[in-house]
Amino acid sequence: MNPDLQHVLTEKLLALGDDELVLGHRDSEWAGHAPILEEDIAFGNVALDEMGHAMLWYNLRRDLTGDDPDRLVYFRDPAAYRNLQMVELPKGDWAFTIARQYLFDAAEGVFLAQLAHSQYWPLAEVAAKIGREELYHYRHSSNWVKRLGLGTAESHRRMQAALDELWPYTAQVFAPLPHERLLVEAGFVPDPNTLRSTWLTTVAPFLRESGLDVPAHGGDPAAGRDQHTEYLTPLLTDLQEVARYDPTAEW
Amino acid sequence: MSEEEKLQEFEARIARGEKIEPGDWMPAEYRRQLIRMISQHAHSEVVGMLPEGAWITRAPNLRRKLILLAKVQDEGGHGQYLYHAAESLGATREEMIDALLSGRAKYSNIFNYPSLTWADIGTIGWLVDGAAIVNQIMLAQSSYGPYSRAMVRICAEEGFHKKQGQEMVMRYAKGTPKQQAMIQDAVNRWWWPTLMMFGLPDKDSPHHEILRRWGVKVRSNDDLRQEFVNELAPQLLALGLTIPDPDLHHDETTGNWVYGQIDWDEFWRVISGNGPMNKERMAARRQAHEDGAWVREALEAYAQKQVAGSR
Amino acid sequence: MSQWPRYEVFQQDKEGRPHQNAGSVHAPDAEMALQNARDVFVRRPNCLSLWVVPAAAIFAKTAQELAEDDTWQEELDSNTDQETYYVFQKQSQRRAMTYVTHVGEVEASSPAQALQRALQKYKGGTPYVWWVCPARAIFRSETADVESMFAPAHDKTFRMPNEYRVVAQMYEIRQGE
Repeated sequence: MNPDLQHVLTEKLLALGDDELVLGHRDSEWAGHAPILEEDIAFGNVALDEMGHAMLWYNLRRDLTGDDPDRLVYFRDPAAYRNLQMVELPKGDWAFTIARQYLFDAAEGVFLAQLAHSQYWPLAEVAAKIGREELYHYRHSSNWVKRLGLGTAESHRRMQAALDELWPYTAQVFAPLPHERLLVEAGFVPDPNTLRSTWLTTVAPFLRESGLDVPAHGGDPAAGRDQHTEYLTPLLTDLQEVARYDPTAEW
Repeated sequence: MSEEEKLQEFEARIARGEKIEPGDWMPAEYRRQLIRMISQHAHSEVVGMLPEGAWITRAPNLRRKLILLAKVQDEGGHGQYLYHAAESLGATREEMIDALLSGRAKYSNIFNYPSLTWADIGTIGWLVDGAAIVNQIMLAQSSYGPYSRAMVRICAEEGFHKKQGQEMVMRYAKGTPKQQAMIQDAVNRWWWPTLMMFGLPDKDSPHHEILRRWGVKVRSNDDLRQEFVNELAPQLLALGLTIPDPDLHHDETTGNWVYGQIDWDEFWRVISGNGPMNKERMAARRQAHEDGAWVREALEAYAQKQVAGSR
Repeated sequence: MSQWPRYEVFQQDKEGRPHQNAGSVHAPDAEMALQNARDVFVRRPNCLSLWVVPAAAIFAKTAQELAEDDTWQEELDSNTDQETYYVFQKQSQRRAMTYVTHVGEVEASSPAQALQRALQKYKGGTPYVWWVCPARAIFRSETADVESMFAPAHDKTFRMPNEYRVVAQMYEIRQGE
């Protein structure tokens, strides 16, 4: 693989892994605090899956660079994280958590379905593996969106507020990385420019069926993945606390 | 059949090793004791998610994070199996949760102790879950079918909980100086509360006789506690750890590891609400329950609208 | 405050094996009940298919209840609308995990009549517990769900006790004592 292509690929894998890691982190904050016991168990499964997916992406990256996933996660500073801003926002109420999970699951579904045809076979393989779990995640989060959207006046109000708050952040979801076109030209990843419209054709009608208004497109340019909100640093301080307490230790 | 004959038949069935199932005749006291025990046990699993759940975000590597998430998720599942067993006796989930949140119901004292460092996660796995398993293996033979089945399922899943904890304790005991200090400190804090998990000595245990007679418990608290100490003490010592009991010694004639006096005053202090974390644990459960109220209402409303729409 | 209705869960663990009762879940509706059943009962790889049934739709009697009371019985009636009922039995006192297992179906016009027909049709052995429920009350996972709902549990090997080699390691440490 030529070095430029490999460099963009490692950046892409980092972004994919970081998204899952940070979302999984926020999801895991619900452990023991969900609205009902059954959902504590169900949402624990979602968090567990997202963490597992992060590991799969980091492992692919390790195969290219030799970087140990644990070093990457625990000893990298916030500025070097490449996750979406959407996933680092605090967990909020249950409506916010569900709305974010739904928007992310839908985006992942669209991306993975096309990534399964990647010319870089390790990507295709992981896409297929993650894809089957994401199918279930989509089912889970969409079932929740529909019920909260159409449930009571309060649940509807909370869902709409969550959606309105999250929507501007979705501009970042399919924004290409610098030089991502190299990956597209090599047939490694789908063209990010086509993904957003595919995603919208899934998400917009579903949200309307769920009684929710699809917020207007702000049209602001998407933030780069090197830009973060004020919430990422405390999140990583928490995540890295024990590992950094004794960096030489094996845990 | 008279009540007396029914009782005789009930006890004969238990003596034959039959399981009592929902719908079968049972003494009111059997039902009452089982609801008390099973719902306490369920509450313990659910409250037990908190001290460990608080460390998921801080797990020091990705593998430990996956393991701890899976474990806390399992504990929710165990609470769920147990609430189901209590429901089969006529208790509703609403009543049981209300009893917990209002402070009327008890749960295992052990979860009123704080988890102060990551090493506590290893200790909870090996010591606390290890102690729970000794008790649960016994309860899997319980005469009440749904309780027994829940326990069989739980025991099958707890094996992983205990072993992942043991793996950590072993690694940290042989690890860096900081890890060794952490794990020794954790063992020091968790040892005695773990021994109290088996409950009062048989002579002071108020429900002991009746639970034995009706096959709910088939072994005594002291017997189970001794089995646990015999298993754990030599292993902890082999790892170079110390156990915070100056009287602990191996008795060559009985083969038992004899332990010192348990501080039952502390046990009573914690169970009556004055342990280090009672208020925090209850506050967390109440908060989750209250924050979830609008969610549960919304899904009920949606379900009702669907039913109305399909008519 | 409501914890939602209860649904009984039946699980098929192997091809060709009957569905067995695994426990129950609370859920606002059947679709969510199926989802909850998956997350509660299939954290480990042991499932090909799940059924969920509202607990209120199940008519249950133990052998003891049948022996002592027949007032629940109705006059059998083949003229009014018949529908299919599923029949479940607890057949063994020995196997610790087993409760009621699916044994077959009967046609009937009420739960009581379904149980009467089941008692005639499935009278072999010594069943300890009988359950009947209308087929239309059962909400089922589909074959297409196996990949996304049940197969992923196979990859979570860290849930398996044999992932941890602590017994062998402890043995080595104690040999060196």
